[in-house]
Amino acid sequence: MSTSHTPVEANKVRNRVFVAIGAVVIIATYLYLILGQPSEFAEGDFGQASLIAIIGYLLGSVLIAAGTIHRLPTTTIALVPVAIAVNIVVGQIAASLGLPIYLDSIGTILVGVLAGPAAGALTGALTNVIWGMTISPIALPFAVTAVVIGVLAGYAGRLGMFRRFYLAPIAGLITGIVAALVSSPIAAFIFGGATGGGNGAIVAAFRAVGNSLLASTTFQGLLSDPLDKVITFTIVVIILYALPSRFRSRFPFVREYNVFGKQSEHAAPTRAPRRAAGGSDSPASTTGDDSRSSDSGTTPTS
Amino acid sequence: MIELRDVAYAYPDTDHYVLDGVDLSVARGEVVGVVGASGVGKTTLAKIIAGFIPSVEGGTLAGSVSVDDVQISSLPLAEAVAQVGLVIQNPFNQISGAKFSVREEIAFGLENTGVPRDQMISRVADVAKLLRIDHLLDRSPYALSGGQMQLVAIASVIVMGTPVLVMDEPTSQLDPGGSRMVFDVISALTDAGTSVLIFEHKMELLREHADRIAVLAEGRIVYEDNPRTVLTDDRLESWSVGSTRYTRAARAARDEGLTAPDAALPVSLSDSTVYFTTQRTGR
Amino acid sequence: MTTTLYEDRESAVHRLNPVTKLVAMLSIIIIVFAVQIWWVALGIVVFVVMPAAVISGTGGRLLSLSLKLLLPILIVLVLLQGLFFPEGTTVLAEFGPARVTVEGLMFALGIGSRIAALVLCSLVLLLTTDPALLMTSLTQKGMSPKMSYVISSTLQIIPAFQTRAQSILLAQQARGLRLKGNPLRRVAAVLPLVSPLVLGMFTDVEERSTAMEARGFSSPATHTSFVVVEDPLGQKIARWALAAIALASVVLSLLGVFK
Repeated sequence: MSTSHTPVEANKVRNRVFVAIGAVVIIATYLYLILGQPSEFAEGDFGQASLIAIIGYLLGSVLIAAGTIHRLPTTTIALVPVAIAVNIVVGQIAASLGLPIYLDSIGTILVGVLAGPAAGALTGALTNVIWGMTISPIALPFAVTAVVIGVLAGYAGRLGMFRRFYLAPIAGLITGIVAALVSSPIAAFIFGGATGGGNGAIVAAFRAVGNSLLASTTFQGLLSDPLDKVITFTIVVIILYALPSRFRSRFPFVREYNVFGKQSEHAAPTRAPRRAAGGSDSPASTTGDDSRSSDSGTTPTS
Repeated sequence: MIELRDVAYAYPDTDHYVLDGVDLSVARGEVVGVVGASGVGKTTLAKIIAGFIPSVEGGTLAGSVSVDDVQISSLPLAEAVAQVGLVIQNPFNQISGAKFSVREEIAFGLENTGVPRDQMISRVADVAKLLRIDHLLDRSPYALSGGQMQLVAIASVIVMGTPVLVMDEPTSQLDPGGSRMVFDVISALTDAGTSVLIFEHKMELLREHADRIAVLAEGRIVYEDNPRTVLTDDRLESWSVGSTRYTRAARAARDEGLTAPDAALPVSLSDSTVYFTTQRTGR
Repeated sequence: MTTTLYEDRESAVHRLNPVTKLVAMLSIIIIVFAVQIWWVALGIVVFVVMPAAVISGTGGRLLSLSLKLLLPILIVLVLLQGLFFPEGTTVLAEFGPARVTVEGLMFALGIGSRIAALVLCSLVLLLTTDPALLMTSLTQKGMSPKMSYVISSTLQIIPAFQTRAQSILLAQQARGLRLKGNPLRRVAAVLPLVSPLVLGMFTDVEERSTAMEARGFSSPATHTSFVVVEDPLGQKIARWALAAIALASVVLSLLGVFK
C-alpha cells in the first residue's frame, strides 16, 4: 500500500486541519475582541463584537470537537462521558451548597492530564453542550472556556506539572487566569455582564468606578476563576495520586510524557522451568512486550 | 475451535508469570467451564483468549492462542473481537449508554461493524427471540433488572455472530433467578454451533450445562474432565475450588464414616437422594 | 432514560427532523445577533419562537423554564446596565454611585432581547427534540458516531452519578461532615465527596472500554445506522434557505448595514 491518500489518512489530515482552523478561529476571535477595542457605547460596534464572539467561539469549538474525537483511543472515549458526568454532578452540588467556586471542571482537568489536550478539549466542549441540554442553555456560549481549560490541563500534564504536588496548583493558577481572560469577552459582549446575581454585583462595583464593561467582567473573572482552578487542580492531583498506578499507566499519554514521574523499571520476566523438553519456550509469540508499544492506537482512524 | 498451548503471561512491569503453561481446547459447539480460586488469573485468561491481552493491557505473552487455527494474539483488536465474543461480570458497564432502547442497544455492535440495515433488523429479532427478551425490546436498557441487563449484554455480543464466546463470571453480580436466565441461554447458543468458554464459581449450574470442567490453579490447567468426575475429586479443596453442596455433604458424611468409603459421590439433588439411601453404612 | 428537557408529545414541531430544528435554532440566533436591532429580536421571539411553542404544546413549560433560567439574568442585566453605565449621559435618577441612564437601559434592552432569543430558541429545540433522534439524525448527516456515543451515554449515566453522589454525601454527613458554615469549611468538605465519586469511576471506565471494544467500537468499517430518521426534501430546502439567510445577515452586519 504505497499511496499516501488512503481514506484513513485523508481523514487524519482533515481532522488536524479542523483542529488547526478551530484554534486559529478562537484565537483570532479573542484577539479581535480584546485588541480590536470594539467601542462599548456605540451600539453598532458592540453588537458586531457580540456577533463575532458568538460565531467565532461557536465555530471554533465545533471544529475542535469534530477534529479531536477521531484520534482518541477507546480507553479515552470511555472516560469522557464519566468525566462529563462528574463535572455536571459536582458542579451542581457546588451551586446548591452555595460555594463561592464553580467546581465544574474536575472531570475536564482529569481527562486532560490523563489523556492529553485533545481529550481535555473535547471533554470541556461537550460538558457545556450537555449542561446546556440538561440544565440551562446559558452554558453554551462558554464552551470555549471549557475547551481552553482542558487544553491547558493537558499541557500541564505534558510539561510535568503533575510530577510534584506543589506544581499542580500553580498550573491551576495559570489556567484560572487564562480562563478568566477567555470568558470575560463572552460575559461582556454576549451577556452584558449579567451571568448571575453575584457576578453581576461584582461587575456593577467595577462599573461604578468607571471601568469599561470588558474590563469589569475581566476583573470579576480574575476574582473567581483562578481560585476555582487552583482548588480544582489541587483536588485532581490529590485524587490522581490516590489512584493505584496501574489505572494511570493504562493511558498512553501518561506513559509517553511521563506525567506522574518515573515508574520503577523491571527486568524482563523469565519463566520458571515448567516441564522437561517439549520446547515450551516460544518467545516468538511474545507480543506487546511491555505496555509501551502495544496499548494506544488500537483505533485505526487515529 | 479454541486451542491454547503452553500459554504463559506476566503483567506489565512485573517479572512473575501468573499463567505458566496453560493447555486447553474447546471444540465446536462445546461448553467448557473453567473454575479456580479468586485471583488465580481467570479474568486474565479470558482476556487473552478474547484478544485484549496483550494488545490493550500489555504484558508478556508466550505460547499459542488460536481460534480456528488463527493466532488471536497476532490480530489487531478489531479483528480479534470478530472471532471471539466477550461477556464480563458487570451488566451495567456493558450497556453502552449510547442507545435509548434495548433493540438499538443490541444492534450497537452491528452498527459499529458496518452491517447493512436489513440484516441488522433480522439478526436483532433472531437473537432477541433466542434469548427470550423480545418483550424487552422497546424498554430503556437502564430500566431493567440485573439479570435482564446481562441478557441484553449477551445478546449484543452474540448478535455479532462470533464462532466463540468467552464469558467471565457472567452471573457473579446476579441473583439466582438471573443466573439461571444466563445459563439457560448457553444451551441455546451451543445448539447453534457456538463454542462457549465460561469462567465460573457456580458449580451446580456448571454441572448442569458444561460438557467439561477445567481447573485453573498454580498458573495452569491442573485437571480437566467431565463435570461429575471433576466435581467429586478430592483434590478440589487443595486448589481452593468449591464443589456442589451435595458433594460437600456427602463427603462430610463419608469422612464421618456414615456412608461407604469408596462409593462415587453425588453432584446433584437426585444423585444425593440415591446416594444417601443406598450408601449408608448404618453407623 | 434521559435527563434533557425533552417532553414526548405529538406535534408538527416534534415531527420535524431534529437537524432542521437545530439549523433553525442556530440560524435564528445568528440572525438575531447579526441584525442587532432589539425589536427584530423580540419580533422573532413573538412571531416565530412563541408560535412554535404553542403548536408543540410546550408553551407552559417554556414559560416556567424562562422564569427560572432567563428572568433572573434579565433582571440582573437591567439593574447592572440600567444603574451602572458610566458612558451614559441622559440621567433619569441618581442613588449615590448608581445612576439610572437612558443609554444604559437601551443597552440592556439590546442585549436582553438577544439573550432572550437565544435562550428561548434553545429551549424550544430542547423541549421538542428527542435526544436519541437528534444524535441519530446528526450521525446520518455526517457527525462522528463516537460523538453520538459520548453525548448519549453521558445523558444516560448522569442520573446514576447523581444518585451515587447523593448517597456519598449522606454517608459522609453521617460521619460528621458538615455542609453549613463558612465558605472555606464548605469547600474543604467537598474533597471527601468528590474523591470516592471519581476513584470509583476508574474500574467502571476500564470495563466500559472493554465492553465497547467487544462490540466493535474501534472497527475501521463504515458505520451503518439501525434507526433511520426521515428527512423530507422540503426540510432540506428550508435548512439551506435558513442557512443562506443567516450567512447573508452576517455579511451585511460585518459591512455595517445594521449600525
